[in-house]
Amino acid sequence: MEKLVLLIPGIPIAIALLLSFVSHKELIPRVNLILSSMIALLGLYGSYHVISGEKDIIGFDGLLIYNELSAILVPYVAILGLVIRKYATKYMWDEAGYKRFFILLNFIFSAIYLLVMSNNLIVLALAWQLMSIGLYLLVSFNVGSKTAVKNARWTMYIHKSADFVFLLAVILTYQTFGSFDLVVLKDQWLLMSQNPINDPMIFAVGFLYLLAAIMKSAIVPFHIWLPYTSEAPTPVSGLMHAGVVNVGGILLNKMAYLLILSPLVLNIAFVIGLFTAIFASMLMLVISDVKRSLGYSTVGQMGYMIMEVGLGAFSLAIYHLIVHGIFKASLFLESGSIINYARKDPYIPERLSHKIFSKESINYTSSKTFKFIALFTIVPVLAFIGTKILLAPEFFEFNAAIVILAFAWLTGTQLFLSFFKASKLGSFKAILGIVTSFIVVLYTYEFIGLSLEHFLYAHDSLLFYEAATLNVTLLSALAMLSFIMLIGGYFIYKQHFVDLPRGINKPSKSKWTFYKLLVKEGYYFEIFSSSKKGKL
Amino acid sequence: MISNILLLLLGGGIPYFFLLERSNKFSSKSIFILSWTLLLTAVVLTFFIDKSHTTPFVIVSFLSALYAIYKATQTTNFYKLGYYFIFMNAPFFILFEGQGAFYSLSLLVSLLGIYAIASFYDKHYGSANYLYVRGITLATPLVGIHITVYLISIGLYPPLPNSLFFLTYTFNSEANILWFVVVITLYFGNFLVSMKVLEKSIFGKKNPDIHYVDLNFKEKFAHFTIVILLILLSIYGTREILLWVL
Repeated sequence: MEKLVLLIPGIPIAIALLLSFVSHKELIPRVNLILSSMIALLGLYGSYHVISGEKDIIGFDGLLIYNELSAILVPYVAILGLVIRKYATKYMWDEAGYKRFFILLNFIFSAIYLLVMSNNLIVLALAWQLMSIGLYLLVSFNVGSKTAVKNARWTMYIHKSADFVFLLAVILTYQTFGSFDLVVLKDQWLLMSQNPINDPMIFAVGFLYLLAAIMKSAIVPFHIWLPYTSEAPTPVSGLMHAGVVNVGGILLNKMAYLLILSPLVLNIAFVIGLFTAIFASMLMLVISDVKRSLGYSTVGQMGYMIMEVGLGAFSLAIYHLIVHGIFKASLFLESGSIINYARKDPYIPERLSHKIFSKESINYTSSKTFKFIALFTIVPVLAFIGTKILLAPEFFEFNAAIVILAFAWLTGTQLFLSFFKASKLGSFKAILGIVTSFIVVLYTYEFIGLSLEHFLYAHDSLLFYEAATLNVTLLSALAMLSFIMLIGGYFIYKQHFVDLPRGINKPSKSKWTFYKLLVKEGYYFEIFSSSKKGKL
Repeated sequence: MISNILLLLLGGGIPYFFLLERSNKFSSKSIFILSWTLLLTAVVLTFFIDKSHTTPFVIVSFLSALYAIYKATQTTNFYKLGYYFIFMNAPFFILFEGQGAFYSLSLLVSLLGIYAIASFYDKHYGSANYLYVRGITLATPLVGIHITVYLISIGLYPPLPNSLFFLTYTFNSEANILWFVVVITLYFGNFLVSMKVLEKSIFGKKNPDIHYVDLNFKEKFAHFTIVILLILLSIYGTREILLWVL
């Protein structure tokens, strides 16, 4: 009975075939929704089977598996798929090619299920490539638009390169380890991790998987395809940002045990992820196009995800991609109404240049406020440390803790200060409310995160943290954390509490140059345009 | 040795289209038919003759392929494109040995589709030139679907057979520098040319000055047969790849 779950990747193909014979337009969404609900039900049943302690479901001669990772991701993709299909039912109604759209949508969902449930590198390679072509046809769905077709072309170039890198990695994996079966490979990698060897081939294989993952996850410098494909229909954007772009994280989780053997790859992932997170988040702030700004936000989040992988927090990356996917899909599906609202208001979106250089900010001078600042910068980090000590004290044995602490502090402090500004009260009750809700949210987040970690990797998760560690002494790690907190504190203080008097402060040249670099998106797209014109 | 030279010539390893194009006696349609038939003959012969690739032959066919890639990027005619694809893929025919025959067979079937499309354009739009007949997907979606299928098959995308036989070979073979150069160049060469044609043929807005014509029953049947052949080859390709993996 449970083997039926393994049919999930085939169901969207069956739906697509069925749809091609449906002649009444009204029947298309019905067939689509009813049958895709079946996928969600099957997925939930499979997850129940795995979570309730039964064995993984393996079938088709070990080519497909429904394991812990599938138990988390398949229901997520299935429910996301249902929402997107339901949304597209009305959204796409008046578009030419209504049936074609749903056929292509099912095609790409099939590839995603296959990718998640594959237990063999060849099947993974096929799913990896199927997704590329499905994405290309969906992104260029608006065939009459030149820009849509042009951006689809760039998407395709990057994805085809990712396909090639992936194929190369698979060939080298087979030549090095002698198997395509991921369960066999996992056991072999785990065994090898007990006596680590410095083999350049293992590094090469791990690096190629990382490269393929960062290409498909739109990490800098391969990010260009994501923000510029916002001309695709909104349901496609939702799917891309909540589903397709996550495949890098999924792949790296499948290869987690290989990456233990090549810690340098993890360190590279951390650096690239960190740079992408910072760079793309800054671009997101200066871009005035709502959908493109969301695109850069996704790139930044993917940077975080890859950074988490680089820290050895593999399960956190999965948690991140799910939470971000739900959040971003809802944003995209709502973007139409937000754009509609914004068109009626001349001050939306707010110009950052105006905010930085001209707008007068609120000036706080009282000693009471400074006490609040101190409280708001210290409480988040204390709350985070307290939660971690309570739930997972072994976490502090690794350097990853310091980096995660630094980010928790930055996010928490920003959040606190924003709430404080929004409340305009500064009263004891408001502060108590903010602190309590923060601790509850943090505790819940940590609890779910740790449960996921134990469910996916059990005690092996410590191996990942150990592999990713930079062997920095505790003292220097604490010094780094203090440095980050000091720099961050300075900026936060300036942003929230120091006034820029009008007319006296002229924007400095370097500030303008930096701002120009950001609004021009690092001149990245202009390089691509130049190559198109034949300049390069 | 002689059989290998014969296979090199028949498989498109030598760019004889260069001479034929210069002659006024051969139209692009007849060059297509000739090179297609010669490749088919080569494929049939490989089932009877022992084929082994030698480095000089691979190099010759690779240089020929590079020239064919260049020519393919310059043309907007489906017939010419068809035979350029044959010459572009000749190094695979020589390099792939056992799987080379099936790879080339898949290519021949895909090119049969391209030929059917070229004939359709020739008949209804006056020539096999696709550049000015834009908006096919919006005007006649069925023609657009067929062009897409044939081109993504040649562009090496699964689950279409070219990609499956290509994968079986690449996973099976021992790589050296020449292997890497040939495989990488042709992998991206096929992809780039296919995508370029796909973009310029099926996309775009409908042209109000063109009277778009859809496939008639006979043409639909022909394309249906070609797609069925591709599906059968895909099933065989999947079987081959799984037999090897499991």
